[in-house]
Amino acid sequence: MEALYGVLDMLILRTLVFGPRHGYGLAAAIRDCSDEALTIEFGSLYPALKRLELKGWIVARWETSEHNRRVKVYRLTPAGRRRLHDESTDWTAFVRAVARIMNPGAKKATS
Amino acid sequence: MFWRRLPYLLPWRRRAAERDMQEELRSLAEMAAPGELGNLSLAAEDAREEWGWTRLEQLAQDVRYAARGLRKSPAFAAAAVLSLAIGIGATTALFTLLNTLLWKLLPVRDPHTLLMLGQRSPTTLTAGFTYQQYELFSSHAPTLDLAAYAPVRLNVSIAGSVEPTLEGQLVTGEFFPLLGVQAAMGRLLGPEDDRVPLGHPVVVLSHAYWRRRFDADPGVVGRQLALSGTPFTIVGVAPRDFFGVDVGSAPDLFAPVMMQPAVMPTTVNLLDRPNVFSTWVRIVGRVQPGASLAEAAARLDALAGNPETDWRPRDKFTGRPADVHLEMRSAATGLSDLRRRFSQPLWLLLAVSGVVLLVACANVANLLLARAAARQPEFALRLALGASRGRLMRQVIVESLLLSALGGAAGVALAFWATRALVVYASSGHQAIVLDLSPDLRVLALAAAVSALAGLTFGSVPALRAARVRLAQTWRRDAGTASSAGRGPGRVLVAAQVALSLVLLIAAGVFTRSLQNLSPADPAVDSGRILIVSVEPRGSGNRSGPGVAEHFDRLYRNLLDAVERIPGVESVSLARTAPLSGWTLGYPVSPAGGTAARMVSSTIVYPKFFSTMDIPVLKGRDFTEDDLRPAATPAVIVNEAFVREFLAGREPLGTAHGVRQARGAPPARKGDPPRFEPGNPLNIVGVVKDSRFPTLRERTSPLVFQTFLQANTGFAQMVLHVRTTARSAEVVPAVRAAVQAVDPIVPMAAVHTLSDEVDAALVRERLVAALSGVFAAVAVTLVCVGVYGLMAFSVTRRRGEIGIRMALGATRSDVRWMIARQTMATVIAGLAVGVPAAWISGRLLSSQLAGLLFHLTPTDPAIMGAAALLLAVVGTCAGLLPAHRAARVDPATTLRSE
Repeated sequence: MEALYGVLDMLILRTLVFGPRHGYGLAAAIRDCSDEALTIEFGSLYPALKRLELKGWIVARWETSEHNRRVKVYRLTPAGRRRLHDESTDWTAFVRAVARIMNPGAKKATS
Repeated sequence: MFWRRLPYLLPWRRRAAERDMQEELRSLAEMAAPGELGNLSLAAEDAREEWGWTRLEQLAQDVRYAARGLRKSPAFAAAAVLSLAIGIGATTALFTLLNTLLWKLLPVRDPHTLLMLGQRSPTTLTAGFTYQQYELFSSHAPTLDLAAYAPVRLNVSIAGSVEPTLEGQLVTGEFFPLLGVQAAMGRLLGPEDDRVPLGHPVVVLSHAYWRRRFDADPGVVGRQLALSGTPFTIVGVAPRDFFGVDVGSAPDLFAPVMMQPAVMPTTVNLLDRPNVFSTWVRIVGRVQPGASLAEAAARLDALAGNPETDWRPRDKFTGRPADVHLEMRSAATGLSDLRRRFSQPLWLLLAVSGVVLLVACANVANLLLARAAARQPEFALRLALGASRGRLMRQVIVESLLLSALGGAAGVALAFWATRALVVYASSGHQAIVLDLSPDLRVLALAAAVSALAGLTFGSVPALRAARVRLAQTWRRDAGTASSAGRGPGRVLVAAQVALSLVLLIAAGVFTRSLQNLSPADPAVDSGRILIVSVEPRGSGNRSGPGVAEHFDRLYRNLLDAVERIPGVESVSLARTAPLSGWTLGYPVSPAGGTAARMVSSTIVYPKFFSTMDIPVLKGRDFTEDDLRPAATPAVIVNEAFVREFLAGREPLGTAHGVRQARGAPPARKGDPPRFEPGNPLNIVGVVKDSRFPTLRERTSPLVFQTFLQANTGFAQMVLHVRTTARSAEVVPAVRAAVQAVDPIVPMAAVHTLSDEVDAALVRERLVAALSGVFAAVAVTLVCVGVYGLMAFSVTRRRGEIGIRMALGATRSDVRWMIARQTMATVIAGLAVGVPAAWISGRLLSSQLAGLLFHLTPTDPAIMGAAALLLAVVGTCAGLLPAHRAARVDPATTLRSE
């Protein structure tokens, strides 16, 4: 579960690259992008937003949505962008490493 | 990011964030399908965690809860806080004193680079130098800035009237610039005030004196005052916190050292008399920027190797330089005689106060245990409702820490008062000790650390017990069976208290007994009926001129006549030295038949000295007028110790015993030690009883009394001894006036009673005895409270059991005896640990304590036995009331409620 914390943070940052979103929109975007493979509980997503905000990677602002509602919108900060870059690099390395272990034959075949 | 979380510490920031979050969650819930977002309050709870101060809020909650709990049981809170305040206060007070004496930096620029010069001989380190040595060092140390100062007693008169004698300092021109001290008003002394002897009649006031005597008058600069008759101009006021370099003293005036002959008319001119070896100045210095200390030290050390600049004092007889070398020490914390005299007793008392604190902690732990036992149902209920054991433990610990914080705060307040009281006590009978006792960060940190540690110490036992609350057992209504399990730690704590108090009681006993051994037994001394005052007329520093000694003799006899006529004076005499200052004269004696001379101590007295000091004349007579004539046959009086060591059963009176005064003879070869040959026979006219003076601690050594004009000495100062008939308070002003009249412009010494002098000489012993006595009394009181509390609690818990016993035929005295037996078992268990503990610690510390104990070892069996007996009796008595209450249990009532 601990590892998923970081993953959730990364997913939020990545989703915000496409533009600012409010809390509900973020949950929906992650669900849609992953073809509904990943369903993030709002109960986990919301505290993660607060955490990222405290770390200075995202900022929140009250805005008026297209449906004329007052919503709190989160957007990526430059620090968040850098963080996302680092995380995705790490993530790619991690996935490769796991893949090599899980599937040693596949790597030989490609090389 | 820690700093982003910081604003959330503020309650209104947290409330604003909370409102914001609720609004956001509401807006999101409106968008989503019902139930889609899950449990929103849980999400909010987790989000709040992210702000990170949840634990803190819980802590605040615990503190509030604990405070409420303490308010509900004020007796318990008061008892606990008071015990802790005494323990923490005592420790903090002693630490404050140690801190001030040992570690507090001087209020000067850059205290860490300030140095102090000292003369190191194989056995001693002294800070005194002659002015000529200072000049030599200054001119031969190019990389070293040096300054000198000298404490001096001052005769001050303002507008023609003589003021009480003041303490002051003579300083060189570099003194204030070197220390980097700035004037509070006007200017301080500088190099321009240090050029010509007697050429700079200017003076700087201390801040305290300026306020005390001049009411902080802003126009004081430019006014005149006279020192020993010489007019001086006030040029400035020193800063408030500046008391010179000597910690504990408080000079009121600073004058240029060039004015020494004017302000010290009693002594010779010390500025230009290199043949007078008087080490009256102290030297401080700093290494110049960029220069090295080692190099400067080496350069100074090399001076002794060159005959031109050899500064070392020479032996009077051999002419060989003494075996001393120069030492440079840090003067960051100043120079203090108090440090040498008091640091050991203060460390000892700090340890003792630590033991008191432990006893207090045990007491509070016991109180908390009883409280925790009473709160078991509450804890059990909370556990059943889902509180974690950790949370319960934390709550008990928080309550303990709150108690210790309150106790610590009260303790610091107590210490603030106690340190001042202690300083007053330590300076009783003598010149006031002035110390900067304001608690600094170090003291407050210690008090906080001690309080926290104490809180954790006494809180841990009940906290662990709170964690072990068993639900089933607590809710079963049983009065008797569970009790034995609950008493265990309480009994151990009380036994520990008994053991620790025993150690304190023995310490108090040993120190008090030692003080009694030291104190002189003369009731006239105790009641303050003997007055002592030094008489130092102008020029009395040197009597070796034609007719000079006769002049002083006339002066002194007139003084004796004048004082004798004062109503209330029983008898009066003069002696060379004060009773506790030691004999300064040496008297060479050739034993009968032998040739080897021995030096014995000697002093000069006028007639009636022995009756004034209540020293019985055992044989022969006192000096008479006739013996005072220089032409008369030299007559001496000796003490018993002299008779024992030199006369071996022969008749002491007269000259037939064969003992002679020895005469100095030229050494056979140059460089040999001094030689003596037998001279005139010793004409002994009287034998007096040995007296405890001057050294209360040691056996009296052989002593020869001589008369003023027959003695061979260079000094003429004397000390007046007055025995009064009743209370001395009315006589003191008259005596003071008579002494000042001998020479109106010299600084006059204060008139002390002999009991003041004894008190001052025994101040360390008195301090240790008084404080250890107070600590022991506190500890024994705490033990009584502990025993009473334990037994009262136990009786309450065993009420049912006692009822059953009585129903089955136990008599009231059986019950009383059962409870008393339990009390005694606890006390005796404590004593069984305490006696060996006291014995071992006494043995381990015996070498450290040797300096404070007189004719006594720390493991004195009589004192240990008495202390153990006292504790056993007092402890058992403390258990009597609960035993009595147990005996009054009514079986019918108790059994009905079962």
